[in-house]
This record gives sequence, C-alpha cells and structure tokens, in this order.
Amino acid sequence: MTISDLYTIMPIVITAGAALFVLLCGPMLLSASLTAIGVTASAAAGLWAALGTPASTQAVSGLCFTPLARFLIPVFCFAAAVTLLLSHSYNERRGIKGEEFPATVLFALFALCVLPCATNMLILFLALESVSFAFYILVSMDLNRAESGEAGLKYLLMGAVAAAFTAFGFALLFTGSGTLQLSGALARPDNRAIISAGWGVILVGMAFKLSLVPGHLWTPDVYQGAPAPVSAFLSTSSKVAAAALLLILLALFPPMPELRVPLAALSVLSMVLGNLAALLQQNIKRMLAYSSVAHMGYLSLALLSGSRDGYAAVLLYGAVYTAMNLAAFGAISSLSIDEERELVTDYAGLGFTAPLRGGVLALAMISLAGIPPTAGFIGKFFIFYSAIKGGSIALAIIGILSAAASAYFYLRVVAQLYMHRSQAPAPRAVSLAEGLALCLASAMILVIGVYPGPLLKAIDTALQ
Amino acid sequence: MEATLFYILAAVLLTGTLLAITARQAVRSIVYLVTSFFALALMFYLLGAPLIAAFEVIIYAGAIMVLFLFVIMMLELESPEKLPQPHFTNWLPALLLAGAVVGSLVVLLCSRLRAVPPGFVEIPVRQFAFALFKQYGVAVEVVSMQLLFALVGALYLGRRR
Repeated sequence: MTISDLYTIMPIVITAGAALFVLLCGPMLLSASLTAIGVTASAAAGLWAALGTPASTQAVSGLCFTPLARFLIPVFCFAAAVTLLLSHSYNERRGIKGEEFPATVLFALFALCVLPCATNMLILFLALESVSFAFYILVSMDLNRAESGEAGLKYLLMGAVAAAFTAFGFALLFTGSGTLQLSGALARPDNRAIISAGWGVILVGMAFKLSLVPGHLWTPDVYQGAPAPVSAFLSTSSKVAAAALLLILLALFPPMPELRVPLAALSVLSMVLGNLAALLQQNIKRMLAYSSVAHMGYLSLALLSGSRDGYAAVLLYGAVYTAMNLAAFGAISSLSIDEERELVTDYAGLGFTAPLRGGVLALAMISLAGIPPTAGFIGKFFIFYSAIKGGSIALAIIGILSAAASAYFYLRVVAQLYMHRSQAPAPRAVSLAEGLALCLASAMILVIGVYPGPLLKAIDTALQ
Repeated sequence: MEATLFYILAAVLLTGTLLAITARQAVRSIVYLVTSFFALALMFYLLGAPLIAAFEVIIYAGAIMVLFLFVIMMLELESPEKLPQPHFTNWLPALLLAGAVVGSLVVLLCSRLRAVPPGFVEIPVRQFAFALFKQYGVAVEVVSMQLLFALVGALYLGRRR
C-alpha cells in the first residue's frame, strides 16, 4: 500500500477518523462543534470522492475505489451532512444529549463508504451489517420516548433475521463459486443450482432491508418511532446501500431467469400494496413509510430489467429519492415542537405561518408524487422507460397506475398546508442549520428535475 | 473414517441446535448449545483448521456461553410459564418454509455435485494469520469499528435516566 493508495480510499479514512475523534473528544467539546465536525467531515469525504479519479487496482486488499463508489459516496455524504444539520436543533429540543449521536451517524457513513468500495463478499456483508448496526442505535436514540425504544427493538429483531438470511445467501454463493472475491473472473459459475439458491436467500434478506412486501412490516413502526432526522437518514441511505449491494452482485452474477419471477412479484406487491396502504394513513410518518415501500417497488422494477438502462435508472432513483425524503423528513423534523406533529391535519395552514418549511414539505410531496418539473418525475420517467424497454410492459403499466393513485395522499398534505387555516400560533423560527439543510435538499430536487444532464453523465461513468 | 466421523458430528450438531431452540429452560438450552459448539469445533478440526477449532472451544463454548450462564443465574429466572400448544395454522408457514428448504436440498443432492475432497490438510498458524490480517485486514477493521459502536450504543441505551 502506497500513499496514492491511501489517497484513493481517503473518504473512508476521513469518516472513520471523524467518528473516532468525535467519540474521544466529545465530552470536552460543545455539541454544536461536534455537529460542525461531523458536517465538515462528511462534506470533505463527499468532495474528495466526487473529485477523485476511480482506480482500477485495489488500494488495500478488499477495497477499491470503483466508479460506482465515486458516484455513491457523495450521495451518502450528502445524506449524512443534511441529517447532522437537521438533528442539531431537533436533538436540543428533544433532550438527546451527548456525542453518541454524531459519532454514530459518522460511523454509519463510514460503513456506507466502505460498501461500494468492497471487492470481496465478506467486506460487502460486513459493511451492510455495520450500516444496519448504526441504525439500530440511532433509531432508539430518543430515551424520552418509549416508541423510539420500541422501534429500535423491532428493527433489531427484523434486521437480525434479515442479516441471517443474507449471510446464508453469501455462504451459498461462496460454495457455488469457490471464492469470496468479487471479480469478473467468476462471471461463469458452474454450480448453477447452488448459486441460484444463494441468490434467492439474498433476495429474501434484501427484501427486508429494502422493505419490499412481504418484508415491509417493520417499516411504518420504525419510521414512526425513530427521531425524524434519523428517519430521513434511514429511509434514504440504508435503502440506497441495499440497492447498491444488489447492483454489485448483479454485475458479478448476471441476472438469471430464476430471479425474474420473485423479483417481479416483490416489485408488483410493493408498488400496489405500498400505495394502497399509504392511502389509508392519517399519520404523516407512517404515510411516508408506506410510500417508501412503493418507491422501493419502482426501484426493483428497474433492477428487474437487467439492462444498463435499468441499472442507470436505479442509481438515478437512489439519488433522487435521497433528496426527496431528506426534504420531507427534514421539514417534519424542523416543524416539530416539543413533540412531532404526527397527523396530516396537524400541518394545516403551515404553508402560511412557516413559509420556508411548508414550501419545502410541499415541494417534497410534489416530487414524491412525480409531478414535473421536480426530480421525482425524472426518476420515475427513467424507471418506467427502462422497464418498458426491457420488456416488462405489464409491470410498468401497473406501476404507472399505482403511481397515479399515489398522487392523492401526497397532494392531501399540500392541500392541508395551503388550503386550510388553523388557529394555532405560528411555529418557532427555523434555525440556521435547519434552513441550510432544507435549502440544500430542495435545491437538489429542483436542479435534478430541471437540469438532469450532469447527473446522468455521472451515472453513465459510474456504471463502467 | 473421516466421513463417518463427520456424519456423526453433524447429527450431534443438528440435534443439539434443535434441542437448544426448543428447550423451555434457558440453562438447558445453553448446555445443548455448548454441546453443538463442541461438535462444530471437531468439524473444523476435521476440515483442517485446528486453530478455528480451538477458538470455537475457547471463545464460544468457553467465554461467551459461561457469560450467558452467569447472566441467567444472576437474573434468577423462574421456571418458564406454560404456553398453549401452537395451533395447526401457526405451524403452516413453518411447514411451508421447511418444505421449501427440504425441496431445494433434494434438488441440490439430485444434481450431481463434486464433493469436497476429504483429507486432513493442516494450515499453519502463520498462514492463517497472514490470510486474516493481510487478505482480510479491512474486514477485521470494519468488524472492530462495528463492535466499538455496539459497545457505545449499549452504554448509551443502558444509561440510567
């Protein structure tokens, strides 16, 4: 390992160092400076990755700064930075003290940075499990609310089962291919039966992680119980990480015909049931949870196509979904008072009394519904385009119809924001960090929606 | 000889694990689990990994299980309450999944697979350490970060409020 090797994996080093530094020096520093260190470290790691050139050789055994990592690490770093910005004043209001919160967010980011760099199945699995581990802690961070602990326990139990499935799947892939290395030399596995069994078991584990129906049952409870900034981070980064894992494996073992039927079933069930269940929700976080089930259904529809277009649509949708959900949960987090506003009707009239936050929430909802000129439209367009081009026309039609039905519950929030008046006093002023985070997320939504060219080019280079 | 030993150990391992998850008393279930860990250690030895076998006995069967026993004895759990017999409908998903597993096993066994060549090839400690810290050094680091934060999380969540 040389100095230049160290430079290529610098994002991992920066985030690990920052996590340990925050943990060690936490008791001596103010919580504002801890957040500032976290945001700086994630911004530095993201910029380093975005400006670096992908390497073709391994930096250390098991890690390589691939083109995919160059695209995904900045997305993860953006999500972590926005989460940290949002969480600072939220944590002060809710009485979540200590250096553990920023340190754990940075640890999650470290694991997220390792994941796309992995060149070996063991490290891929360990990185995914570390991400889940960080989220088990983050979800139950709010000691004053019983729901938070309950959500953490539910997530831990479900996640442990999913981890067992994934580990078993990797073991079967190892049995079939004879090595843990993820390299192109293994593209032709001999033991087809074992490999496809491994794929099936991994798919079960990933269905839990991506919360595809029938593995989605934990999602509403966990999103509702977790602190809102954590829900923002959880609903974006852990989903993109799981999708990235599937992409890396699909590149190695080309999609087999055996995989089509289960993936198609997962996709259809998630799109239809997710949107139908979201129609009935009165609680905004539960509604967003069911909507994330549906969105992951769209994402697996693009995975199903098995073409380069489909994989590009997955990456694009990952980035778009990150921006949309960060904005939505960010607005919920910064509009919270002593308690979070839970019901959709609690948001009545906030478009007038809190223009910035109401506007961001409305923008996020419009984007989640997939209405142009927002990023959500571009993302959905490419998903359904790749699905139709890939031949799954029936699935694409089901997806488009369920996406059209989903507009009802997104626009209901917008209607509450702008078409109702409430007598409640104006909410407290938005803090600087929250304002910055919300502006960043909504700028991402608008920029990708109006001018997606540079992002598409970046995705094109990431897929080499 | 080795094949016979392997099958005997596999039977012990499976029975031990099955009894460990069905036992209604925590202490019994731990003793069953320790038994299966010993069987697993011997299997690792048969596969030519004496170091892993030693670790399995020292760390899993020795340290972790003894810690479990201590915790259970300190908690002084009462004898477990009687649960009603599970209804047939509760068994249905488990039977379905078990059927799927058995079915795929049959398919795997029917398709002619090349068996792993038996034979005891000892891997020296030096080679093992080289593989662990050179080839999988990053994995060791990731795991150590994960364990550190597991500790941090446990301390944070267990804090008195």
